[in-house]
Amino acid sequence: MEVQKEAQRIMTLSVWKMYHSRMQRGGLRLHRSLQLSLVMRSARELYLSAKVEAQEPEVPLPPARSPDPCLHPPREAEAAAEVAPCDGEQPSPEPMDTQETPRAEETPARSAQRPAKVSRKRRSCSLSDGGDAALVPSKKARLEEEEEEERASSDVLDRLQPPPAQAEGAFPNLARVLQRRFSGLLNCSPAAPPTAPPACEAKPACRPADNMLNVLVRAVVAF
Amino acid sequence: MAGAGGGGCPAGGNDLQWCFSQVKGAVDEDVAEADVISTVEFSHSGDLLATGDKGGRVVIFQREQENKSRPHSRGEYNVYSTFQSHEPEFDYLKSLEIEEKINKIRWLPQQGAARFLLSTNDKTIKLWKISERDKRAEGYNLKDEDGRLRDPLRITALRVPILKPMDLMVEASPRRIFANAHTYHINSISVNSDHETYLSADDLRINLWHLEITDRSFNIVDIKPANMEELTEVITAAEFHPHQCNVLVYSSSKGTIRLCDMRSSALCDRHSKFFEEPEDPSSRSFFSEIISSVSDVKFSHSGRYMMTRDYLSVKVWDLNMESRPVETHQVHEYLRSKLCSLYENDCIFDKFECCWNGSDRMVERVQYFKL
Repeated sequence: MEVQKEAQRIMTLSVWKMYHSRMQRGGLRLHRSLQLSLVMRSARELYLSAKVEAQEPEVPLPPARSPDPCLHPPREAEAAAEVAPCDGEQPSPEPMDTQETPRAEETPARSAQRPAKVSRKRRSCSLSDGGDAALVPSKKARLEEEEEEERASSDVLDRLQPPPAQAEGAFPNLARVLQRRFSGLLNCSPAAPPTAPPACEAKPACRPADNMLNVLVRAVVAF
Repeated sequence: MAGAGGGGCPAGGNDLQWCFSQVKGAVDEDVAEADVISTVEFSHSGDLLATGDKGGRVVIFQREQENKSRPHSRGEYNVYSTFQSHEPEFDYLKSLEIEEKINKIRWLPQQGAARFLLSTNDKTIKLWKISERDKRAEGYNLKDEDGRLRDPLRITALRVPILKPMDLMVEASPRRIFANAHTYHINSISVNSDHETYLSADDLRINLWHLEITDRSFNIVDIKPANMEELTEVITAAEFHPHQCNVLVYSSSKGTIRLCDMRSSALCDRHSKFFEEPEDPSSRSFFSEIISSVSDVKFSHSGRYMMTRDYLSVKVWDLNMESRPVETHQVHEYLRSKLCSLYENDCIFDKFECCWNGSDRMVERVQYFKL
């Protein structure tokens, strides 16, 4: 469970960083976007594999889950790879991997080349020029994976408000929560300078919304 | 400078003593964003040090002549010239602002009294001429001392102008502007050993320029995939060989280095040599891919070795052996357990440089500018 929370936190952080990077002067940095998407992908694999393990306790798992999820996610991914073929009911990480990883890498590059066209996209996000592009998949992938993601993100739903009508992206509930937060922030006029996100050790995995709000407010001020 | 540090890892294993010689700029906490130094580069002789900052300015320091009465003290560096190299621009087609931050400075080999350097921001490279003027001509026939033209009909005698000394004035003038050749952000420039050409590298492409020609450049490396969804690595640094003008290397975000020979084909997409160290499975972590990215690559003066810098280590490679480096030095291994925190505060994305000293005993330069 802790592994899952940590992975979720990393994913949230990565999304925040992606959004933040788009607001910086000079435009999107391809290298930075690539690195963030790699971390995002690793976190997602870890999250999904931890979720699979949590839901299938009777399946024998490799011993000695690492106490530090930050440092040893590949073992979890390997466990998931072993577990998933054993149980066809559970969502396999591999198909989603091939669908989502290209998107995560594609959309930062795409938006680097076509930022002016983002507002014409059909998906009417408040983050239309923001960081949710990395979460937005192609149409085809959405239809296939949407129901899987609903299950995978059920934990997030429990803590957060009910989602709006449109379900988007690899992490639809996460994206919706962030959209709601951002849309409120973009109309704010706070005065505090930006600070880095809270330290790894100081906060629980799913932070209360206020802390995220403060961080995002400060980010908006800066840019 | 907001902050600077240095560390030494001599290749021979002898102990070196390091100390701060000088600190320039504001040492306190309140440093304006525009004053943050983004790049530094010594000239080939070491008498000039050029720094570029986020505000697009270049400040050149000159080392004072060493005092004979104090033979053991090193010459101090004082400000020699300051000029605004780049201004912020706006790309109207992409609706993107182009930062004026200086990404790299490279000195050209000295060929006369004047000095030349290349400075680049994300999109445009400029060639600057830095020249000294310490004499002024006086006694013109056609104009007065204050510059006003004299009436030719009133000139009854001719005189030869004479040169009189004046206070040293250092002038910086832009001689060439190399623009509109890069879609992505320029991360490297490197002057070739032929002293006529140089390369500029961005995330996906490397272009070859001639120093005299600004309206044309040749693309020599292009790693952009046909489908950007398949992008897996970007170019992080590139450099020409110090002696062989046809050889260049470029490093990638995956921790690999490719050596290319421009004689083999016009487009050097296929490398001649491929340097990669197999990853140690026991040290694999969540952020392995980020910290394995090579941030700088430098040839030794001899041209036999090259040095690469990633987040935690410095590696020395023999160009004749592609399978693994000949030396690996852990710079701050203690940070390996703190990668999560470093990711949160963005320090994991910091890019370090490295350089060789004059005798090719390795020197590592840590550039934490905002600490």
